[in-house]
Amino acid sequence: MSGEKIRLNTDWLCDCGGCHVAIVDLHEKILNVLESVVIQHCPVLTDIKDYPEADIGILTGSIRTEHDRHAAEEMRAKCKTIIAFGTCAVYGGLHGAGLAHSREEIMDHVYRRSPTTITDTIPDTEVSELAKLVTPVDEVIDVDLYLPGCPPHPHFIFEALSSLIEQRKPRATQESVCGRCSRQMIKGDATEIKNTYNHVVDERFCFLSQGHICLGSATLDRCLAPCPNHGVACTGCAGPTMQILTEPYLDIRTEVADRMSRLSAIEPDTILAYMERTAKTQYAYAMATKMIGSKPTFLIKKWIADVEAGTNG
Amino acid sequence: MAKTITIDPVTRIEGHARILLECNDAGGVDEAYFIVNELRGFERILVGMEAHTMPQITARICGVCPTAHHLASAKALDNAAGVEPPPGGRLMRELMYMGHLIHSHCLSLFVLAGPDLVFGLQGAAATQNIVGMVDANPELTKKALRLRSLGQKLNEVVGGRGIHPVTALAGGTAARLSDAHYERVREISAEALILVKELAPVTKELLLKLLAENPVLLDKLNVPSWYLGTVNGGKLNLYDGDLRAMDENGVIRAEFETVDYANYLVERAVKRSYAKEVYLNVDGAEHMYRVSTLARMNVADSMETPLAQKEFEEFRNRFGRPCHNAVLQMYCKLVELVYVCEKAVEIVHDPALRGAARVPANINGSRGIGHVEAPRGVLIHDYKIDQEGIIRAANMIVATQQNTAAINKTLKEGAVNLLAGNDDEKLLNGLEFVVRCYDPCLACSTHAVGRMELDVEIAVNGETIRRIRRSPSCCK
Repeated sequence: MSGEKIRLNTDWLCDCGGCHVAIVDLHEKILNVLESVVIQHCPVLTDIKDYPEADIGILTGSIRTEHDRHAAEEMRAKCKTIIAFGTCAVYGGLHGAGLAHSREEIMDHVYRRSPTTITDTIPDTEVSELAKLVTPVDEVIDVDLYLPGCPPHPHFIFEALSSLIEQRKPRATQESVCGRCSRQMIKGDATEIKNTYNHVVDERFCFLSQGHICLGSATLDRCLAPCPNHGVACTGCAGPTMQILTEPYLDIRTEVADRMSRLSAIEPDTILAYMERTAKTQYAYAMATKMIGSKPTFLIKKWIADVEAGTNG
Repeated sequence: MAKTITIDPVTRIEGHARILLECNDAGGVDEAYFIVNELRGFERILVGMEAHTMPQITARICGVCPTAHHLASAKALDNAAGVEPPPGGRLMRELMYMGHLIHSHCLSLFVLAGPDLVFGLQGAAATQNIVGMVDANPELTKKALRLRSLGQKLNEVVGGRGIHPVTALAGGTAARLSDAHYERVREISAEALILVKELAPVTKELLLKLLAENPVLLDKLNVPSWYLGTVNGGKLNLYDGDLRAMDENGVIRAEFETVDYANYLVERAVKRSYAKEVYLNVDGAEHMYRVSTLARMNVADSMETPLAQKEFEEFRNRFGRPCHNAVLQMYCKLVELVYVCEKAVEIVHDPALRGAARVPANINGSRGIGHVEAPRGVLIHDYKIDQEGIIRAANMIVATQQNTAAINKTLKEGAVNLLAGNDDEKLLNGLEFVVRCYDPCLACSTHAVGRMELDVEIAVNGETIRRIRRSPSCCK
């Protein structure tokens, strides 16, 4: 189509910049996209600083400051379709873990308790105050499409962009990471939970069968499963599956405990207790979303406080 | 006089570079501040997480240099366990890192600085970007973008992912390189070396032309400072080695292991920025220092690979040791780009690459410190781990914060000359160029191509008298 090109805006809020690098990582395919798309506001590629009218708006990152909120609102006002792009935009992302701590605590750790910091100074002039909480994009504006992933694999980015260009529904599979994992799920005989540093896994079999916590079965595939296929357990960076998000009493830890206890000789309660003690790791990417935070059995602040006080484990 | 002048207010007022100039009544500049207005608080977020996941988690600190965090973290865990990875694991880590550095240096040299090289500093803003470059110099641009892609693919094949790699862990890497992956890295690294040999002379020519056309760059951006960088047996190394500190006269004043960093580096928090400043504490005094490519070239005696050594000698003959000129960071990056491509091929041909990938590593109840040379300079991770394997304290020294004091000093000196003219656009261009020379990660993550969004405030006795912002209307 050489007629009207699709107009695209992108912007980044509070994030690491990796989602924008992921768009560049379409490599050769970016040329296919550029045949039908004109990139307008895009902090990595163009110089346009305002927000022109656009067909598609990609927002990466979560809402941390007034700037982020404002940028999200501007994008919503000017773009017909808004994509919450990447785990930070969809679920809050890693720095969503800031929700477990007060702003004062964060400042105290960074500026007073660091072993190399010799001053007793807290930045408080010329800098913007941190927002109380880190929130996903859809708590501030309406979102049309969600593409989680940290970052999403170019395979899914390309599918998302081509479907919008061709004005069809994206082929968005709802499979978990296990769907792309080449490891075999067998019943194993592990009797205790193991870790990468004290046990080497057999490359042929499922991590859960061997007593390693792997979040693959509880995590949406937006990555093509590179971690388990490279010898590393899934850490859930693309966020939970739809099943977990929509069912109040299902949760990352209940899903993993259920499956792992059936694949090993470890009791479900042992797995649950372990995952609660390590909740900050297990919920690292998605704790800031209400879809997880509002679950009746989700007590992450208590779990984290217990670990920090040394009363658990 | 006591009046605020706001030029073209912009909608975005946070999350980008801000510069504050504090002037005295006589019109001189007392202080200049480069203000970083972002804080995610990873030192707190990491506390309470499982230590063994740190290489994956901390990669997310930066999507622009994730592999640097990934590896500094894995090395900190090796240190906590008191082990060294076997040669296979070590080489896999180095190989993924060479891939990352190819990608990162290409992005910085060709996508960010490339338009200045192709069009000069006075190029039209509309074409001053990568798309304009494709039209103006398609051969150079396509090869440069291809080389960047190859680097990212190399990182992905070995690290599992290009952005936020996952395979390095305590004691080595998760698994050996498979036959199929080995074949892939052999092809990629061979092509990368061919490309860099074609690109390097052309790029160097463009760079020298830029310097010749703008003599002011070499004249005015000389800021003497100390330097900190990594050497292994005196040779420049990006993955491993000791930290070497050099003073402004080129004398090596200290050489220390990563684990001793707290004896040599002190951080000072400042009221006006979320980024802490870092100073080298040597012989009882604190010294302003710089990191990144220029610092690495200054502290190193030589390079490990033949083509890079040739480029290194040429650079040193031209600009001496130490070279204090911030604008030459770009030249140094080019020398390093040649090095990382050669080094990738060298690693691929080392039979040890296919050997054992890891050793057992018990990290519990220990403290671990590790560092690498991130693309923009020294990066240190330091964790305290409890008996249950949970992080109890985390400290990080990142590249950009170590340059903050030097950026402020360069801005202060630059602003004195620029303010006299009372020409806003000239002031913005000048200050922006100063910041860009340091390639701070903030700039690379809030802007990319073309002119930086800037907000400059000029104050006398604490009262803002002038505020200049680069807005959409003057940037299109």
